Amino acid sequence: MEAPRIDSGRIAEVSHGLDRSEVESREKVFSVSDLSVAYSGNVALEGVALEVHKNTVTAFIGPSGCGKSTFIRCFNRMNDLIPGARVSGTVLYHGEDLYARDVDSVEIRRRIGMVFQKPNPFPKSIYDNIAFGPRVLGMKGSMDERVERALHHAALWDEVKDRLKDGALGLSGGQQQRLCIARALAVEPDVILMDEPASALDPISTTRIEDLMHELKRDYTIVIVTHNMQQAARVADMTAFFSVLVDEDGGGRRGILVEYDSTTKIFTTPSDKRTEDYVTGRFG
Amino acid sequence: MRVEFQGELDALEAGFQETGEIVLRSIRGVVDALRTQDVELCDEVIAFDDEIDERYHSLEKQIELVLARQTPVAGDLRLVLALLHSGLHVERMGDQCVTIAKLTKLSSHLDTKQTVIESLVDMGERCEEMVKVSLDAFAARDVERARGLHGLDELVDRANRQVFGEVLGYVNDPEALEWGMRQITVARCFERIGDNAVDIGEQTAFLVTGEFAEFTDASH
Repeated sequence: MEAPRIDSGRIAEVSHGLDRSEVESREKVFSVSDLSVAYSGNVALEGVALEVHKNTVTAFIGPSGCGKSTFIRCFNRMNDLIPGARVSGTVLYHGEDLYARDVDSVEIRRRIGMVFQKPNPFPKSIYDNIAFGPRVLGMKGSMDERVERALHHAALWDEVKDRLKDGALGLSGGQQQRLCIARALAVEPDVILMDEPASALDPISTTRIEDLMHELKRDYTIVIVTHNMQQAARVADMTAFFSVLVDEDGGGRRGILVEYDSTTKIFTTPSDKRTEDYVTGRFG
Repeated sequence: MRVEFQGELDALEAGFQETGEIVLRSIRGVVDALRTQDVELCDEVIAFDDEIDERYHSLEKQIELVLARQTPVAGDLRLVLALLHSGLHVERMGDQCVTIAKLTKLSSHLDTKQTVIESLVDMGERCEEMVKVSLDAFAARDVERARGLHGLDELVDRANRQVFGEVLGYVNDPEALEWGMRQITVARCFERIGDNAVDIGEQTAFLVTGEFAEFTDASH
């Protein structure tokens, strides 16, 4: 019997993530500088600068109210949909200003897909959930192939291939979330944003989603917000820690980026005391 | 604040320090046994090792539980790893004391040479001091103090070489040579204890800085 071959590079990548120099050698997908977001004049997030690189998983962690969800929504202009929201600073997407006047926000949301905390399939068949986006966008080619490819990519095909016409709401929570990922993949995005994608799922479904992230980053760039620090430690190459800054008078609270580095660094030897206090559970 | 977790970390560290304290008693025991050639004291040291082993295994079990249940990260993870390594180093010191006690018993029917005994007692006392420094530096997270162990270890190594040189002189006296050969092994055991104390110092530096580096490279 042939001895199993150990691919140490693969083990290192899956278990430790990429190291920082490897991440930074990859093409920049997002370059954020001096980004602030205010809702009706109240600053929610202030002065954020970071870069997200191609074919990596980047995690945003931090306590409630630190602005991490606000921040991820800046990447596909979801804050535009919130009345009174104002975004200032720069978000470059492949070098182009994401907030320039002539940018088509619908096209942006096709290229930068999003998966939310609670699975939100349409009350339609499994097939129609996947086909909906490509149909609306008038995408060419065989729809059957497109649906199958998306379901394969989301590691759901084997479980649903015999019941594509069944209602999506009959799937388990974990399957519904993978369906939402498949739906996002069907329109051939470049980036997938995930806002707490596994927080409503059981541990086994969570493991499936995490395994899926390792697979998906070969073809996509993934940005994830998570409350589960161990999840960030398991899946992300780079981790950004956000915290809440409270004004001296106790009035205003705003999110700030404290530290952004390789996940290994953040979880073994963080540079900032606030990061150490958070990841070790002494604060937040 | 994870109150229970912090309590568990404190208990682990206290357990390590207590194990270190009782190993110091073992070292003190073998030094006294060497000085007085006290066979009964040797037996006590040998029996005492069971207590050291028990404490070490208990520490290891507690560490396993903390890793499984609390998934420590960053400074907490370094503390747990440093305690695991250092605990093993302390346990090994206890084993060296047992070997010294057994050798002292084995050679008790032979004539002793006072110069060698004095060198061995000197080594033992230096080792005792090194272990104290390693435990204190760990507790105080004092990297400079931990680094100082390297200098102390040089003195132990020098005494080890002196014992070796002395025993070489017994080549024409078979009985003295038999005794001397056993004392070379005793000296080697003390030398190992000194190295283990330096190892604990290196764990202290890792705990504080996050970087592991040997204080000296023995391969050069």
